[in-house]
Amino acid sequence: MESYFSGTLSKTLTMILAGGRGERLYPLTQPRSKPAVPFGGMYRIIDFTLSNTINSGFRRIYLLTQYKSQSLDEHVRKGWNILSSALGEFLYAVPPQQRYRDKWYSGTADAIFQNLNLLGKHKPEYVLILSGDHIYKMDYSKMLYFHIDQEADVTISSIPVPVEEAKRFGVIGINEKQEIISFEEKPENPMEIPGRPGWALGSMGVYIFKTSALAREVSWDAKRNSSHDFGKDIIPHMLGKRKMVAFAFEDENRKTSSYWRDIGTLDSYYDASMNLVSVDPDFNLYDDRWPIHTYHPQQPPVKTVWQGDERQGQIIESLVCNGVIVSGGQVIRSILSPGVRVNSFSRIEDCIIFNNVDIGRNAQIRRAIIDKDVKIPEGTKIGYDKDADKKQYVVTKNGVVAIPKGYFY
Amino acid sequence: MTDKKYKLLIVDDEPNLRMLYEAEFKSEGYEVTMASNGPEAIKMVEKEKPDLVIMDIRMPGMDGIEAMGEILGQDNQLPVIINSAYSHYKENFMSWSADAYVVKSSNLDELKAKVKELIDSKD
Repeated sequence: MESYFSGTLSKTLTMILAGGRGERLYPLTQPRSKPAVPFGGMYRIIDFTLSNTINSGFRRIYLLTQYKSQSLDEHVRKGWNILSSALGEFLYAVPPQQRYRDKWYSGTADAIFQNLNLLGKHKPEYVLILSGDHIYKMDYSKMLYFHIDQEADVTISSIPVPVEEAKRFGVIGINEKQEIISFEEKPENPMEIPGRPGWALGSMGVYIFKTSALAREVSWDAKRNSSHDFGKDIIPHMLGKRKMVAFAFEDENRKTSSYWRDIGTLDSYYDASMNLVSVDPDFNLYDDRWPIHTYHPQQPPVKTVWQGDERQGQIIESLVCNGVIVSGGQVIRSILSPGVRVNSFSRIEDCIIFNNVDIGRNAQIRRAIIDKDVKIPEGTKIGYDKDADKKQYVVTKNGVVAIPKGYFY
Repeated sequence: MTDKKYKLLIVDDEPNLRMLYEAEFKSEGYEVTMASNGPEAIKMVEKEKPDLVIMDIRMPGMDGIEAMGEILGQDNQLPVIINSAYSHYKENFMSWSADAYVVKSSNLDELKAKVKELIDSKD
């Protein structure tokens, strides 16, 4: 048995690509990048990938940020200051430093290329590359040991996805030895898994590279007119030249079906969030064996006040965070982030309410996402008249209303 | 060689070596322009638009790897050959952006062959 420090995990450097714009999540991505979008009341999307990384035993982590990174940076500083530099552990956010060119990262591969100095500094044997955009539970150490056993140059984590959805992903073709023999980014006609019609093997954007192979490939790509993207350029270029294998995603969620979500749109965001409120959610937040870490603001316990027929503080089938006060209003099947206040005679139903929103008296709100720091005036009605809502707010295909951070009435 | 005259930029802080390279590559039919340090090389790339750069690494001030980074920031497809007396810079990932790494030698055959190979592949 090798010790942690002589061990393989400490020879691995983790780089998390956390610059995603998440345009289809607008207006939630108006003030922040996609990894910083709140999820499940008190988490941010990045917390799931970071928790996986820590829970897998990887403790040397760079978070490559770019677009509207302030919110993400603050969250990581406040909530993730849990590693010990004395033990050689770190989690640092790295904005584009323009060491190599006076441009922002022009793609995922360029983000790595522009930070090759970090690989030179730490000299890892392996580099784990992750996206900060997804929600799932995965033990990356299992994938690392598979990568080492296979003596691969790159290992890509894969998950079966319905063919229709596979058009949004990189689609992998493998042989019986799990070697990757084809790779198509966002194909029109995704290749089906042999013997499993209707399903394709999707790339999860989780890669483990041998460091030298990674440095060679991104350096090669940097000298080409390409989109400098792992899925579009690097992986297709490696086909047939280097040993590439697919790792079959092993879910640590401990539910019957496996869970991996790329929350791309407001509707998928809404559905994945509301699923947490259901009796038996698909995503397991309650497993001590695989905790999801985050930043917890110092706030008092949840409080409800008033009991009576008309004026009653009530919370039913909801996720409610610290600092929330429900004062004489009703909250049904909703998610309330820290510091929300719901005032008398109001009714919140099937809603996702971010931090420090104040719901005025007699307000009636249904199927809405309200971003931080909004003061909803008394008597406001949202979610009852689609045409009226459309004049004022973003309304999704499924009819969910989204109200931006700090919206002013 | 085709009738087009290709232009090389030679970057080295050692004047005698520049003179030697200039004579050798001119006799091979190239046009030759020179710089004695990193910042000068960056300016020359902009001004002279060379077809290929031969870059020393150890120079006073900005080293050749940093200068190459800046140059590739201007034009990521400009071929660069690193030409250093030392081989250990090969371990520096930043040197991997170069199209070739030729260790300095009194015999210029390898360097000339690399230059020709890269120039030919441009056509």
